[in-house]
Amino acid sequence: MRARLFALVVLLTVCGSHQARAQFLHPKIKSKETTIRRVVVMPAKVNVVRDSMKGPEGMAAESDELSLRVEKMVAEVLSKQKQVATLPATASSAEDDAQQKYNVADFQTKFDDLLPKIMKKRSDVKKGRFSMGDEVLNLNLHKDADAVVFIRGEGKKLTGGKTAFTLLVGGVPAYLRLQIGIVDARNGEVLLYTDPIFPGDPTTAVDRLRKALEKGFKKLPEVKAQ
Amino acid sequence: MFPRKPTNLIVAALCVSIVFTSLGPVALAQKKTAPVEATPPPLREEFKFGDVDLEVLQQANLLDARFERDGLVLTDESANAYLRRVGQSLIPRDLALERVSWKFRALRDPQPNAFALPNGSIYVTTGLMSLVDNESQLAAIIAHELTHVMRRHTYVYNRSNRKKFLTMNVMAAVGAYAPGGLVGAVMSIVTTVAPFMMMATIYGYSRDLEREADLKGVDMMISAEYSPEEMVNVMKLLDKDLEGENIRLFYNDHPALDERIKYLSSYLGSRADRVTHQMELNRERAAYFQSMEPVMRHDIQLAINAGRGRSAVYLAQRLVDFHEDSENLFWLAESYRTLGPRAPQLTEKQLTNSAMKDAAKKRVKRTFEEEERELLATPAGQENWQKHQQKAEELYKRALNAENPAPLAHRGLGMLYEKLGRGTDAVAAYEKYLELSSNAIDRERIQRRIAALKEKLK
Repeated sequence: MRARLFALVVLLTVCGSHQARAQFLHPKIKSKETTIRRVVVMPAKVNVVRDSMKGPEGMAAESDELSLRVEKMVAEVLSKQKQVATLPATASSAEDDAQQKYNVADFQTKFDDLLPKIMKKRSDVKKGRFSMGDEVLNLNLHKDADAVVFIRGEGKKLTGGKTAFTLLVGGVPAYLRLQIGIVDARNGEVLLYTDPIFPGDPTTAVDRLRKALEKGFKKLPEVKAQ
Repeated sequence: MFPRKPTNLIVAALCVSIVFTSLGPVALAQKKTAPVEATPPPLREEFKFGDVDLEVLQQANLLDARFERDGLVLTDESANAYLRRVGQSLIPRDLALERVSWKFRALRDPQPNAFALPNGSIYVTTGLMSLVDNESQLAAIIAHELTHVMRRHTYVYNRSNRKKFLTMNVMAAVGAYAPGGLVGAVMSIVTTVAPFMMMATIYGYSRDLEREADLKGVDMMISAEYSPEEMVNVMKLLDKDLEGENIRLFYNDHPALDERIKYLSSYLGSRADRVTHQMELNRERAAYFQSMEPVMRHDIQLAINAGRGRSAVYLAQRLVDFHEDSENLFWLAESYRTLGPRAPQLTEKQLTNSAMKDAAKKRVKRTFEEEERELLATPAGQENWQKHQQKAEELYKRALNAENPAPLAHRGLGMLYEKLGRGTDAVAAYEKYLELSSNAIDRERIQRRIAALKEKLK
């Protein structure tokens, strides 16, 4: 029992102290050949499930709400910490345009296809290995946009019973893990990849989320006023 | 050697009782593999909704909204109307199901698939709509999905899973506090093995429900005058596996396709003998292709985007065989260009389960471009690339010589020439494309390509 408690304390300490995982920058960002001044944030896709003793249950409404919150928070952190401005998605308002909707959906899918490859070897972002191609230009984003931000995430909320069970028996505690990629708006190169993670109920996270994001973008160079 | 301490006895008894409760579903699952009776889905609904079911229903409604919002639903009204007509013809008259509102929609996904949400939303992917040969085959898919909704499979499956997960968690707790000695060792073994057995029952139950949906689907097809044989033909089509994706895993939620073909064929028996005039009409390939042509073109584009070159070539070739116009020729050319150094068909060796697993692992590691570079370094890859680029060029040119030439063929030629290092030709083709398509959505992309090529040519 003592050993179990000790393991739990170690797990919580580790989780608590490492709210952010590594960040990987494209050499162009490191060498300042490319500077990210203005970005377009694509709709985030964050999915959370409620884990109970009777198995996982969907939380579609909470996931939608969290996706919006993360999206706004990413924009806020980039703006406050790095002076990176967020632009509206397109130059023209084309919300009802089916083709534009398809283009965005297809490009989101393209990022979903690339993401497992990035995650398999995240450090290769530093070698400039990953690109989504110049199809990014088909998105017809705002002309001034330097980069596009893609956000994915997965999380778990535990019910009271499952929390007690996790404490007594072990298991994965509540958490939220984000995967954020910043892609060059002109040639589709992946300029930054970061995957902040933090423990606790993801549906109520505000400050924890902000802190994790701040750490997640720590290495991104700040935009200097011209 | 036997547990003597009272605590050990209590824990051992608890363990045994849990094993029995976990083995119960195994036995039940075994029973359920007996033939499903050949009756149409019930008209009188006796399903009683509990809180858990209502929550599942709410999630389904939200999922519907998400598909729509994320641009995953095809907004082609005629395609959705076609699905609706076929779907409605299969639903038994006077059937009123509580909390079900039928919706039939095409999902923009090149992977052949279909699924039903418990609220009555039936989704068929464009990949599957393009793969099937006629209306009856589409009806077979929809009939299968309708059965899932009518028989409340999602709710039933969810209820069953919840019990099994609870059992698994209780067993894990017992295992974590197992005493030492032989009893503890036995308990540890039992609690370690039990989750695997529970998972087997979960997947086994899912396969039973799929089987029921297949067989009831056949009955529904007959009632709606669709040839029931087409259910078997759909399975055969799916069994073709153009991309090498039908990997058999340790746990599978659907019965194997060859197994499905077998039990469906034996279930059909004399049912397939009666063929009406309407059934013959519903099997007409040309009528189906005519209605589905825009969906098929859209799907080829999606397949190309997803790097599913083999599927794209297969589907585009079918389309050209049906109707050889400029646009269809363009899509076939695009498909060959995407196929690049890949072989148009997988070999038998590549379709073995272990080879497909290896290929799937590689797909996660390599990007599309890296795979292409690797293949181009081999003689077979070089040969394929030569063959496919020639084929693509010829098809683009045919598309441009056809009636009402598609300007997109100039763009395709430009991309092909660019890859072949024929900069001047590429610039000329791109410029022609921009000249003919003033409102092209990819204008900026092409302009940048022209600028980069001109810079290189200097």
